[in-house]
Amino acid sequence: MPPARFPIPQGTLDMLILQILSLEPAHGYGIAQRLEQISKSVIQINQGSLYPALHRLEQRKWLKAEWRQSETGRDAKFYALTPAGRKQLAAEKNDWARLARAVQVIFDEGR
Amino acid sequence: MLPQLFNWFRRRRLETDFSRELQYHIDRRVDDLTRSGLSEAEARRQATLEIGGVTQIREEVRDVWLSRWVRDFAYDLRFSARSFRRSPLFTATAVLSFALGIGATTAIYSLVDQVVLHALPVREPQRLVVFDWKGVTASVNAFGTYNLLSYPLCRDLQQQERFFDGAFCRAATTITLSTGGDHVPTAAEIVSGSYFPVLGIQPSIGRLFTNADDGVPGANPVVVLSYDFWHAQFASAPDVVGRTVLVNRHPMTIIGVAARGFRGIDVGEVPSLWIPASMSADAIPGFDQMLNRRVRWMQVFGRLRSDVTQAEAQAGLQPWFKAMLVEDAGRPEFPKITADRRQRYLASALELAPAAQGHSPLRRRLSQPLWVLFGATGVLLALACMNVAGLFLARGSARGREIFTRLALGASRGRIGRQLLSDSILVALAGGLLGAVLAPWVMAALIAFLPRDVAATALQSTLNPRLLVFAILVSVTAGILSGLAPAIQAGRRSLMASLTERAGTAAGSLRLRRTIVTAQIAVTVILVVGAALFVRTLTALEAKGPGFDTSNLITFGIDAVRNGYSRESGDRLIRGVHDDIRALPDIQSAAVVNNPLLIGGSWNMPVTIQADQRIITDREVQLNAVSPEFFTTLGARIVAGRDFVERDTLPAREGGLCVAIVNEAFAKRYFNGRSPLGAHVGLGSGPDTKAAVEIVGVASNISYRGVREEWEQAFFPLVSCATSGGTFYVRIRGSRDAAIQSIRAVVHRADPTLPLGAIRTLDEQVSRSLTTERMLAALSAGFGALALLISLVGLYGVVSFTVTQRTREIGVRVALGATRAATIWLLLRDALVMTTAGIAIALPSVWALGRVIESQLYDVTPTDPPTIAAATAFLCSAALMAALIPARRALAVNPADALRLD
Repeated sequence: MPPARFPIPQGTLDMLILQILSLEPAHGYGIAQRLEQISKSVIQINQGSLYPALHRLEQRKWLKAEWRQSETGRDAKFYALTPAGRKQLAAEKNDWARLARAVQVIFDEGR
Repeated sequence: MLPQLFNWFRRRRLETDFSRELQYHIDRRVDDLTRSGLSEAEARRQATLEIGGVTQIREEVRDVWLSRWVRDFAYDLRFSARSFRRSPLFTATAVLSFALGIGATTAIYSLVDQVVLHALPVREPQRLVVFDWKGVTASVNAFGTYNLLSYPLCRDLQQQERFFDGAFCRAATTITLSTGGDHVPTAAEIVSGSYFPVLGIQPSIGRLFTNADDGVPGANPVVVLSYDFWHAQFASAPDVVGRTVLVNRHPMTIIGVAARGFRGIDVGEVPSLWIPASMSADAIPGFDQMLNRRVRWMQVFGRLRSDVTQAEAQAGLQPWFKAMLVEDAGRPEFPKITADRRQRYLASALELAPAAQGHSPLRRRLSQPLWVLFGATGVLLALACMNVAGLFLARGSARGREIFTRLALGASRGRIGRQLLSDSILVALAGGLLGAVLAPWVMAALIAFLPRDVAATALQSTLNPRLLVFAILVSVTAGILSGLAPAIQAGRRSLMASLTERAGTAAGSLRLRRTIVTAQIAVTVILVVGAALFVRTLTALEAKGPGFDTSNLITFGIDAVRNGYSRESGDRLIRGVHDDIRALPDIQSAAVVNNPLLIGGSWNMPVTIQADQRIITDREVQLNAVSPEFFTTLGARIVAGRDFVERDTLPAREGGLCVAIVNEAFAKRYFNGRSPLGAHVGLGSGPDTKAAVEIVGVASNISYRGVREEWEQAFFPLVSCATSGGTFYVRIRGSRDAAIQSIRAVVHRADPTLPLGAIRTLDEQVSRSLTTERMLAALSAGFGALALLISLVGLYGVVSFTVTQRTREIGVRVALGATRAATIWLLLRDALVMTTAGIAIALPSVWALGRVIESQLYDVTPTDPPTIAAATAFLCSAALMAALIPARRALAVNPADALRLD
């Protein structure tokens, strides 16, 4: 029995999506696969919640989408990062690092 | 918000796209799972499980496209539209109420916008300022409207580069223009070479003036045409550049056409062409004072540098200005003035005022009346809103069951309130749209109240995007305001009470409707009183008249000097025409004057009076030079002394004006009832002004600038070779058309090329000079009537509703023996309470608002008791009539039927 997976922390899904798309454009299913691989099955993602997040990011103009042929030959909706999205990703990474450091400091304090 | 609205319109496309996207995901997952060994059916089951509830995801994604609020609102609007289709009469009434209010408001706003608010279509108009001389000027001569400065001062200000990105000056004038055919009086603007560059106007074709065109006086006979004039007169011919036109019979070359949409800087006086200031001697016949620093005839504007504020520029200019004053006072040609006046002259300052809207005497004259009317339309719109609110309340009571059912099924109160709000917004938008369609007609009707020559060129009656935005904003606001009361009302009602209550007895809603009717009556009182005041003003002015008999009196002007005549030859021409006209058989008498009456302007100056002691008039006296027979032609009386005679018109020894006639107002103000005959007057207020002209007569008061004004006047004989008079007044006998025919023939015989404009009757002149008053009276009366109608309908509705509601009670009363009078009184009392309460609320506002319109009134105070009493009495009786009609229905109540009700 593998260890229980964490539910994804509130608000981090957007950041993860941006991170994955910063490498190359991908369609929804591809993003889901990659999330699964990268997180090494530690984080549990409800695949359904991916799509509202993608549309929200597209609405905010952090992503742009276009229909084109996928690796299987069928048309799929591919998402790619916009310059604004790239900026947003950098900002969120920075915030995340600061938060993690701060949490670590608090943990260290207790020792 | 905006992209979301956009999403609403392409939601079908979004839906299919999303379905495809989701389908792709599931298909790929199924493929992967079957590849790993699952059966097709098992794989599909697991894939669907993994993705979770598809319907829920779909909803979540829809919330992203269009926030919940917007979606609900859109559905509400659809629901409202459907329910309105089911009650067309209600919808029509509500939409029409809004259309009237919004149409009128939009139309008046358009005029306010064009006349008062609209910034010039030039580069960064908010940086433009106009200069004004505050203090005493050393002016030897001034002509024009206001904010007058001299041309050399403009040149000086152009040097002030620390504060300004350039300065320019302009003066409006009328020239006689020939583009090959007839000589036609045409509006022109005399401008400095910096005018177009500083305003940032580009040419449509050719080029515009530069400083090089405005150099040596008389050296550059060039003109620039306006786009509209080029279009109308030359059919936009591209080869117009280089052609020659005649300006006051002087040839000048067209060098270009200004940008489309640029119509000069005065909204009330649109020039057809521009002439450089260096050519002002040709543009203004006999004017050779352009380089005189003390002759004020132009408005000067500057463009503030972007890093300088108006206050900084004003403060920064003063050292230079003071030095300029001192330097100028030391020049030998500086006029001799008293030490005291010199002191005050040196203490003068130069002030700056924002000029993004340019300069406009029309704005000065119309802006207050327009704001008053705009306020009145705003009130009218408020009335329309209240009316619709009342209608919705009534409908709310009728829709009670629907609303209660929805509440019982779990709809939130907020949701129901929003539904009602969307109802009213939808109606308001429909009304607004209809109003916007109606607005151009209303505008055209409004513009028709203004003198035609101003209105035709300056004001447009078309609907532009700005107005449409205004109408939509007003509609939405009106919709929200009128929907608010019913929405709150619906939200407040208790569910339990509603369900147990019998249909149509919602007491809260009736109380609200009573409040609304009371407010409507209050507003109507204000509008009706206002209308009564304006109508009384107009009738008083019409009854007063100009002080002379206008019947069978006609007037026309001959502009000799703008048609190539010198002073001497022009004078000979006018004398010749005058003699010929007097010899015509259908003419009783004819007179020539220097300055026309009743067109809003006058020649005025302070006057020095030498009687027992030497006094200077405390304000400017209005002056005119007139031929003998002027007073008899007009039918004004000589109340003391004598009229001018032919001998007075001969040039006197020193070229002076040796006799004068003053009016009764002059005699009253400066002679305090004693006879002014024999006293001497002189023009001007300086110590060296010679008071050498003897007063030989006193005439009755006649109107000069306008009918309203009763000012001190002095008349001098029109001396040959000394003035350029050219306005004729002719008293005719017999047919007017025949007289006009023979007058035209006389002028044509004297000079076939001389343009002769309209020959007007004095009745027409008087009526033209009262256009503003007539506009206010007609519009306020219209608004008052409309308001009255709206609030009477409201009152009728409430009383009629009460009758229905109290049918059972009335039945009981009648059964118990109540008389008919008592039954009617029961209902009328209600109406009377609302009416008197409305009047009581309105009267203090009438008092307060009266101050605002006081200056527009004549011969009546804003709190005139008879006017207010009559207006309120009229309103009360109208209200009782409106209440009586439904109240009579109560008499028809059959007690037996009433008791069986429900």
